[in-house]
Amino acid sequence: MTIEKTIKSLSDIERQTIRYLSEKKPKTIEEISDESKLHIDSVRRAVNWLTEKKLAKTDTQTQSEWKLTPAGKSSLSNGLPEILFLRAITDLNGKATLEQIYKKSQLNRPELNAAMGLCRKNAWITVSKQENEVVLELTGIESEILERKYRLQETLIQVSKGNQPGKPNPIIEDLRRRGLIEERAEKATLATLTTEGAAALPLLEKNKTRNFDVQGEVPELFFGKKQPYQQFLKLVTRKLNEMGFMEMDSPLVTQEFYNFDVLFQPQNHPARSWTDTYQLKQPKTGKLPPSPVVSAIKAAHENGGKSQSTGWQYDWSEEIARRVMPTAHGTAHSARQLVKGVSIPGKYYTIARCFRPDVVDATHLIEFNQMEGIVIGDDLNFRHLLGLLKQFAVEFAGAEEVKFAPSYYPFTEPSVQLNARHKELGWIELGGAGMFRPEMHENLGISQQILAWGIGIDRLAMLKLGIKDIRYLFSDDLTWLRNAPAVKLE
Amino acid sequence: MPSLEISKKDLEQLVGKKFKTKDELEETLQYAKTELDSLEGDLIKCSPSDTNRPDLYSTEGIARELKSRLGISPGIPKYAVKKGNVKVTVEKTVEKTLPFFVGAVVRNVKVTEDMLIQLIQLQEKVTTTFGRRRREAAIGIYDFDKMKPPFFFRGYKDNEIEFVPLEYKVPMRPSEILLEHPKGKEFAHLLAGIERYPIIIDSANQVASMPPIINSQATGKVTEKTKNLFVEVTGHKLETIQTALNVMLMALADRGGIIESIEIEYPKSPTYKQQKIISPQFDTGSMTVPKKLVNEITGISLDEKKTVTLFQRSGFDVKNTKDAFIVMYPKYRQDILHAVDIIEDLLISIGYNNIELSPLKLAVLGSESKTGRELDDVRDACIGMGLQEILTFNLTSIEKQTRLIGIEKDEFVQIANPVSQNSEIFRKQLYPELLEFLAKNKHAQYPQKIFEVGKTVSIDPSKETGCRETDKIAIVIASTTTNFTDIKSHANALAKYSNQKISFVETEHPTLESGKAAAVQIGNRKGILGELSKTVSLQFGLKTPVTILEVEL
Repeated sequence: MTIEKTIKSLSDIERQTIRYLSEKKPKTIEEISDESKLHIDSVRRAVNWLTEKKLAKTDTQTQSEWKLTPAGKSSLSNGLPEILFLRAITDLNGKATLEQIYKKSQLNRPELNAAMGLCRKNAWITVSKQENEVVLELTGIESEILERKYRLQETLIQVSKGNQPGKPNPIIEDLRRRGLIEERAEKATLATLTTEGAAALPLLEKNKTRNFDVQGEVPELFFGKKQPYQQFLKLVTRKLNEMGFMEMDSPLVTQEFYNFDVLFQPQNHPARSWTDTYQLKQPKTGKLPPSPVVSAIKAAHENGGKSQSTGWQYDWSEEIARRVMPTAHGTAHSARQLVKGVSIPGKYYTIARCFRPDVVDATHLIEFNQMEGIVIGDDLNFRHLLGLLKQFAVEFAGAEEVKFAPSYYPFTEPSVQLNARHKELGWIELGGAGMFRPEMHENLGISQQILAWGIGIDRLAMLKLGIKDIRYLFSDDLTWLRNAPAVKLE
Repeated sequence: MPSLEISKKDLEQLVGKKFKTKDELEETLQYAKTELDSLEGDLIKCSPSDTNRPDLYSTEGIARELKSRLGISPGIPKYAVKKGNVKVTVEKTVEKTLPFFVGAVVRNVKVTEDMLIQLIQLQEKVTTTFGRRRREAAIGIYDFDKMKPPFFFRGYKDNEIEFVPLEYKVPMRPSEILLEHPKGKEFAHLLAGIERYPIIIDSANQVASMPPIINSQATGKVTEKTKNLFVEVTGHKLETIQTALNVMLMALADRGGIIESIEIEYPKSPTYKQQKIISPQFDTGSMTVPKKLVNEITGISLDEKKTVTLFQRSGFDVKNTKDAFIVMYPKYRQDILHAVDIIEDLLISIGYNNIELSPLKLAVLGSESKTGRELDDVRDACIGMGLQEILTFNLTSIEKQTRLIGIEKDEFVQIANPVSQNSEIFRKQLYPELLEFLAKNKHAQYPQKIFEVGKTVSIDPSKETGCRETDKIAIVIASTTTNFTDIKSHANALAKYSNQKISFVETEHPTLESGKAAAVQIGNRKGILGELSKTVSLQFGLKTPVTILEVEL
């Protein structure tokens, strides 16, 4: 790299920092920070970068420094023992016994004795024995330290502020001996300019624009982003629209009438029990459609109604049908659509949020989506249903091969299960389908056959999103959502 | 859907055919609408999918179906019934609790440990799934040699009777059994509030059982020493319990048991069509299957002779007439309500994978609902503002929708049987769910700007379902720089994107900081926005400033 190129790669902070470096005089990071008024962390980073670019070099030196010991810190805040000692005598009118001073000064015995020795040595006090007691008396010289400056204390204050004595001196030695300060070794980074750095300095002004290190790290940008599962469902929606399917209403709460009764599920069917579906504490009931429809469904259950069926042979209850519940399966919405009215020919779909009491784990949610729909038209038969299912397998799962198996749903006959062979996963169960029972559509006044289908959309989504845990469909992990790649439908 | 555990060797012996590969077994089981869940060594785990076919809930039943489908023994399975001389009297005292009773004697049964396990599995599956957890059918099996005929099915008051229930040592009153015995506790609801308890008792005044709860220890214990069995089923509908009985008897007969009939006398009452019946009845029903309907459903033009063979392989007897096949089926096939039920069996016998597919050609136009498209526009607007979309659940906790957001009390669409407190109500607001999302992501990089477009639900008796479902948008921002101005800018952007007028009114809101909260109206849609109050921030453990916006769509 030429020196010009190197200069162009310098960031603002590097440019500001390099000016304070010298070829001859090594400086610590702290010194550069002080001089340049730049933050110490910025300087540290800039010096590192300049070193990488060979404009500066650094050297680590161990420097020794005087620091206060815990005893030193305590003396600084409470006062030095000799000061406390002299103050105590002053308060006792300039003359006192050692015991009096002990009580007054709050010093401990060793401190008391040390202070007494020091004061005597400096001739601040005289010591005499009177009537078997040691009596101490101020000499007047003590006022030089009590009223004026006491150099020992001054030095202690300076050291506490980080100011170091230039040369060894007796006061420092005194403080060290008394255990108030100690010498500690610290490592310091010293930076100097290299020859290249020195050469670069005069060229800085001429090369002001910066060239970026294109391979360098930059901060991550979090952009507006769709939830991956939601995005997948939208792609599926678009595909279904292209295939000619029209969306149906899909309320979260439905009457049992649509969830079960229209679908010819007898009112004592185990799937209607407390453990298999959610029920509501409030509200309890909703409204039924106009009575001709209700009577037709009642007849379907009790004796087959207009169809050539025996029905389930029991007394059908309108009360049960009126109850409301969280939608348990998407077919409830096909039932609602059939009652509301359908265009013939017609293709309908819903991607419905459904609810079932379950224990949530990696493969179960109590709230999930089902993709379901119906096809209605003249002359539709089982072969068309199989043809449609194969189309779904190809469009949605990129399946190479399909296999069908007999299956059971209370509302379809014949019923079929769709299995598809996926490139990576082998055979997977993709959905279920069937032809609506005649008890249903014949009693709703529809003479055409109705093909009904459902695709396990949540499983398909897991496949497409590459996740093993179904809970990630509703991920509460922001980092995962931010990093999840965009979904494709192939 | 019941799941069964059966022995492969046992199944092969009963069918008279070996299954060489797992694939072959899986394919063949499909004839019995049964899914192979796993095969480990000799143990087959499988699930018959039809809840109305209890005859398939055992090794014997699956074997019976496969033998027919594979052409080994086509047509209706035939079972011989020897005339016996046991009489059972059903008394008027059970009419209101458990009116119907059927049964039979099975002699010459070779009880082995494996056979017992299979028999109990069948009894359990039939009563649980087909019998709607014993509500519609409860089965009792007894050591016939320990009983003294004739038998009586009679109602007793609690203080009139006591007996030792199965696996117990001391006699107990019916009410005590319902309170203390594990089976009593499990099924007590089936006899709740009754005055007379239904009891099966013999001529030596020995209690056989209290259906649908428990057998007595005296006669209701079947062991490897048992040679002759008495089987009975009780319930509310004769056809249902006859099916359950036949299913049990066929399984026993398939293993060499000899079925012997009994005579049952019912009380004189409109409940009972006949006063005397012979049990069991292996009746057949017949269904006219129009040839036109066969073609309409299948879309396949089938040779008539071939069709007859396929019906026979489906376990039916057939008469071929000009316009229709008259199909005879065993009465226990309670899944047969309509000719389509017969036609499905025909398709299964053909084999779904042997059917030629037909492309579906209907000239119709598809579209998403108008609401769906409008909601997408709002999503796009939010993405444009640099927000991350999230998806939360509709079901949530009362705590999160009230106390945590500073609201004392509210009324919700509430679940009667929640699995956990986290899903006891439908949410009324989106933003508490978004605040919880923030609380779970405190480690992730800030700023955190999220939104959700979703439904909320509230009680509304004027609606068809008693519930009003409202689409809403919530935006929540957590950042050191967010404040009222910031969130108001987002609201303005939403209004601009949808080309709607927007207005703000200062308001007080329990979730929002006083003086930094507003009611907002975009077009005619209402909402709130502002800075999250310190108290609510604390509830969710959020330290970064948070602003929220929630508006109806």
